[in-house]
Amino acid sequence: MKTKAGVSGLILFLIFTPVVLGAFQQDDKRTNPDALILKEFNDRVTQYVELHKRAEKDVPKLKRTDDPAQINAREEALASAIRQARSQARAGDVFFPEARELFLRIIRGESKGTDGARVRAAIKEGNPRSEGSPVRLGTNAVYPDGAPLSLVPPALLLKLPQLPKELDYRFVGRHLILRDAKANIIVDYILDAVPAT
Amino acid sequence: MRSVISLWLLVVFPQLAWSQQLTLPLVRDSLRFAVIGDTGTGTTSQYQVGKTLIEYRSKFPYEFVLMLGDNLYGNEDAKDFEKKFERPYRPLLDAGIKFYAALGNHDDPNQRFYKLFNMSGERYYSFRPKAGVRFFALDSNYMDKKQLEWLDKELSGSVSDWKICFFHHPLYSSGEKHGPAVELRKILEPVLLKHNVSVVFAGHEHFYERLKPQKGIYHFTQGGSAKLREGNLAKTDLTDKGFDQDNSFTLVEIAGDQLYFQTISRSGKTVDSGVIRRTNGKPDSTNQ
Repeated sequence: MKTKAGVSGLILFLIFTPVVLGAFQQDDKRTNPDALILKEFNDRVTQYVELHKRAEKDVPKLKRTDDPAQINAREEALASAIRQARSQARAGDVFFPEARELFLRIIRGESKGTDGARVRAAIKEGNPRSEGSPVRLGTNAVYPDGAPLSLVPPALLLKLPQLPKELDYRFVGRHLILRDAKANIIVDYILDAVPAT
Repeated sequence: MRSVISLWLLVVFPQLAWSQQLTLPLVRDSLRFAVIGDTGTGTTSQYQVGKTLIEYRSKFPYEFVLMLGDNLYGNEDAKDFEKKFERPYRPLLDAGIKFYAALGNHDDPNQRFYKLFNMSGERYYSFRPKAGVRFFALDSNYMDKKQLEWLDKELSGSVSDWKICFFHHPLYSSGEKHGPAVELRKILEPVLLKHNVSVVFAGHEHFYERLKPQKGIYHFTQGGSAKLREGNLAKTDLTDKGFDQDNSFTLVEIAGDQLYFQTISRSGKTVDSGVIRRTNGKPDSTNQ
């Protein structure tokens, strides 16, 4: 009798579990529509990092050195290998339209109003546009050596999706860029991400 | 004519002797280091500050130098490392003095792989040069969750009496150009307070400022070791002592529960000095 009841229980469990899980997943999508966008964004970031790692295998390993020429040569070689591997890359490949909208919502939410004035001021700190350094926006474009790197307000950074160590967010003027921190190239960007006022 | 020269000697030499005076106590077995910030210009002023810093080592044999970011302005080719770092400090490098760098907004984070900056290949790192004193170098340009978690873990695991953080952007500042990094402060200061950090060194503002203790933490800004923003130090209630009339560097000596400091201008004049004493785990200061 016990065995029969156990088997029936198991059958019911197997029948209903996917239904229940599906309902939860549906619910998650309904309550957090950004979850899918974030997942897609993270997938695209992961794809980029895989490409970065493949490119790294083709260039000399970066070791600590007292010869800065080696660091620069390695940075350039890696940038070149990545550019070659994603020669077809276009703006919006990582910041696809829905992700762009999500990022705009987060950044604008943080940088509006009285509190937001401080965030906007922080973004201007070390910003190449504030310091008169030209940075050409473009996928695979080199982030120039002489240009400063903007401060990214920590509160904002904590709200944006976390990035692996190969990448960072920076601001160039009011534009958000996704930068390859080792190859020093612009992977993707969002124009006018920060409101003017 | 002779009387004029004698008068000049009487007036000038005592001043020179006074201005070159070391106020640090040189306690046996103390930890001695220098602090410079915003150095990487390759200009005459960087070389002149470097010269005075080198001269002072004969009186105050410091073991290492903290660099507070903007280690190289502009291009970062091999010749720039040579001109903006290696040459101005060559005698120190030759003497085996270690430089520990933090990243500024003008620095390519790949500087972390440059051996002479002793960053262990990391944007942020810590080191303990002596029992009881641990330094935490942070990347204030990019204070992400990972770095904050690292700092929290490192600080909580440290049993050092003196926990000293150094990074580029000052949490408090009377600078008219930049002012305090308020957004950074909101996130970082609670971590520093939680773990009893005693002293913070920052750069970014191109002058020297020692602030009144903020929530028990002593903040120094030393971003004037090559660049200078003359007259940029606004009069605020925050400042305990400021100097924006010339370039400068700071010497520090830690002996037991006392941290002595002396800030010296490019010409060798002492512009600030004093001591911070730790009592019951908290610092307290007396300035000279």
